[in-house]
Amino acid sequence: MRRRSDGRLSVAVAAVALLFAAPLLYLLLQARDAFGAVRDADIGAPLGRTIALATTSAITTSIVGTALAWLIARTDLPGRRFWRIVAPLPLVFPSFVGAFCFLAAFTEGGLADDYLLRPLGIESQWRIEGFGWSVVVLTLFTYPYVYLPVVARLTELPASIEESARSLGCSTRRLFGAVVLPQIRGAIGAGALLVFLYSLSEFGAVSLLRYGTLTRSIHQSVQSFDESSAFALSLVLAACALGVIALERAWARRRGRIESTGGGRVSIRYSLGRARIPATVFVGAMSALALFGPMAVLAQWAWRGVRSGSSLHAERLLPSVTNTVQYGVIGAACAVAITLPIAYLIVRHPANVIGRGANAIVTSAFAIPGLVLGFVFVDLALTDRVPEWLYQSAPLLVLAYVVHFGAQALRAGEVVVAGVPRRLGEASRSLGVSGIRRFLRVDLPLMRSGLGAGAGLVLLSVAKELPATLLLIPSGEGTLALRVWSATESLFYAQAGFFALALVALSGALTWFITIRPLAREGRL
Amino acid sequence: MRSLVKWGVRLLVPVAATAGLAACGGGGGADLEIYSGRNRDLIEPLIERFEAESGLDVEVRYPGDSTAAALLIDSEGDRGPDLFISQSPGAMGFLDAQGHLLELDGDAFDRVPDRLRAPDGHWVGTSARVRVVVYNANNVEPVELPDSVFDLVDSEYRGRVGIAADNASFVDFVTSMRELEGDDEAQRFLEGLAANDVRDYGTGNDAVLAAVARGEVDFGLVNHYYNARAKAEDPDQPTVNHLFAAGDVGSVVLLTTVGLLQSGDDHRSAAERFIEFLLSDESQQYFADETLEYPVVDGIEVGETGIGSLSEIDAPTVDLARLGEEFGSTRDMIESSGVVDS
Repeated sequence: MRRRSDGRLSVAVAAVALLFAAPLLYLLLQARDAFGAVRDADIGAPLGRTIALATTSAITTSIVGTALAWLIARTDLPGRRFWRIVAPLPLVFPSFVGAFCFLAAFTEGGLADDYLLRPLGIESQWRIEGFGWSVVVLTLFTYPYVYLPVVARLTELPASIEESARSLGCSTRRLFGAVVLPQIRGAIGAGALLVFLYSLSEFGAVSLLRYGTLTRSIHQSVQSFDESSAFALSLVLAACALGVIALERAWARRRGRIESTGGGRVSIRYSLGRARIPATVFVGAMSALALFGPMAVLAQWAWRGVRSGSSLHAERLLPSVTNTVQYGVIGAACAVAITLPIAYLIVRHPANVIGRGANAIVTSAFAIPGLVLGFVFVDLALTDRVPEWLYQSAPLLVLAYVVHFGAQALRAGEVVVAGVPRRLGEASRSLGVSGIRRFLRVDLPLMRSGLGAGAGLVLLSVAKELPATLLLIPSGEGTLALRVWSATESLFYAQAGFFALALVALSGALTWFITIRPLAREGRL
Repeated sequence: MRSLVKWGVRLLVPVAATAGLAACGGGGGADLEIYSGRNRDLIEPLIERFEAESGLDVEVRYPGDSTAAALLIDSEGDRGPDLFISQSPGAMGFLDAQGHLLELDGDAFDRVPDRLRAPDGHWVGTSARVRVVVYNANNVEPVELPDSVFDLVDSEYRGRVGIAADNASFVDFVTSMRELEGDDEAQRFLEGLAANDVRDYGTGNDAVLAAVARGEVDFGLVNHYYNARAKAEDPDQPTVNHLFAAGDVGSVVLLTTVGLLQSGDDHRSAAERFIEFLLSDESQQYFADETLEYPVVDGIEVGETGIGSLSEIDAPTVDLARLGEEFGSTRDMIESSGVVDS
């Protein structure tokens, strides 16, 4: 019985892997003429910058994301009901918009300079650019990749171990290091890997911060109409992704797997004591830099524009909101559902070759820049081998989202499946409940909040995605992010500010509904 | 069993919703398909007007100039767009040089002067823009304003100039310089900018203008209309357009263009109707009033652009077809000059 259902799982995983492999294979075929040119071109420097940025950002987001998750989910931080909604939100800014607003808010001559520092007689000398600032900006806008899975994991941990440790006189600090950290390491690693992959393919922010990574070379190839060089260069990014996956696997094997029962008990909340004030300042400062500063810029744009008579084009708001919700929810649901079998296979059968291959393919697709994936899908849709209705259709765009962001759902799924104790499956099997029914009645309820975190990640990513959406969205439709970008590009700042604020509000509401409310309802957050 | 149904429903809803989206969003059936290199906010109102007036169903995507050209360059067969609208002549000329455009005919195009359309009749200008240097009036004295774009390599402008080197308009400006002053002169200019610590903002003229407004740089090489648009939103912004001296290549006139693609032959009459619409008084007035560009036909009242009307500008004449032919080689020259180095 067990063998048969495992066999079916492998077949399902192989089918999903094929779906993800198709665009990568196409890239490989189209890029083969350009490999020579890429080898001859000097990509060493931009590649080095890319890897330095991705590695550093993965480390900084691990620290910031975990700290925020711990403070908000597990301490008596003042205002945590507010922070738990606010903390994931910086992820909603399309990186170009986020960086543009960050610059407008904090750089020399920016909003903070005009309204905060100059009245105080301080002359800001911040020139925001280069490696250090790129790390800062990426950290601010991507720490939710770590924060969300860690929060989900923290709220699933059984209180019993921590209670025993405490009754044995273990201090909170030691308890975090010795008891909690080993249990959330997998979630931190999963999040850090997402940040690494995201940073590989990131272009909008680093180009504004004038830091020349490999994605700039890719965009320059496109600017020169050289599709195959762009493809070849993005395969270099995919190779980086494969490398880091191999490292991660090796690390995970060495550390072994820690299973813990989820659900049931309300987690312990620790008292911050004298650390309350610095902790609140830290959480507030992060939100000020990553969310409220940029939002103040957007609000200023909207207000200033309205005052001088610019149109906000409010009539475009409702259709844009509808499109954003549609694609966000559908993309997230599809990505979570499609990658769940892979998560099962790689957690339950780590040595299975199909599972490992599928994991590598799905994960490396995240490192391919959205622009390049957009190219691939347009190219594919324009050949005679696919039905014509697929060209510029909604299902193709959803497929692109699933391929691009499947890795996020998969990482979350992996963390979730690892939290479902295997003996539950054995118990239900002994009771004669097996296969799909066991999955629906036993596993799925246990995984709900974790899957919600994964869906929330994908949803926020879809809501802010720009280049692939721009190329693939059906004519006449437009997401909020597209509207923001388009309006910014043509300097309709009032409209850009208005739509970006709508995007933040909408994403906040959706994240609350999908990710936070399930946790809160169970009394865990 | 109940949970099975519940989860079944939850999984089916997205699938059904996707199918529903497919039913309403499918492509291929439109009367006219357009790739626009121009920004959506600038061109969509005109397209909506055209649809209302003609009763035709128009589908538009907005990939941007270079992305559109890169997508179209390999296209074969009749799938794909019928028309391409470009924000600068280079991308259009590039497609033309690669044999992707069909000849246009129709009397309406005669309204456009010869110098504002392709010599081979493969594309026509729809609006004009002038290259300018925008400066921050708080940080720049009037005596510091350069007469020629070549002045910007002088030491007094060190670290004070911003460009968008990956933007199609900047590439076309450099090609114009190569045509008018020769390759050596253009090469020296780019290397001089690089040595003078020019700051490159990638593809974004908007980023250049924002940097000038903040005082991050004092001068920015952009198209003329950015400043007027930004000041419409924020009248207090201390940015001012400056035109280089008469005949200087720094103030060359560039065009937005439209051309009929090979894949658009089956929709030729709808395409030509749309092009006529773009060149009508109504649309030309729209460009003058809303996008703050110069019309390409006579008799349109030009709004407030800050530097007067097109006929008053003594801009150098460039063979626009060359901008497409040399687009790739100019890109190479820009990349190897070091202006995008960091």
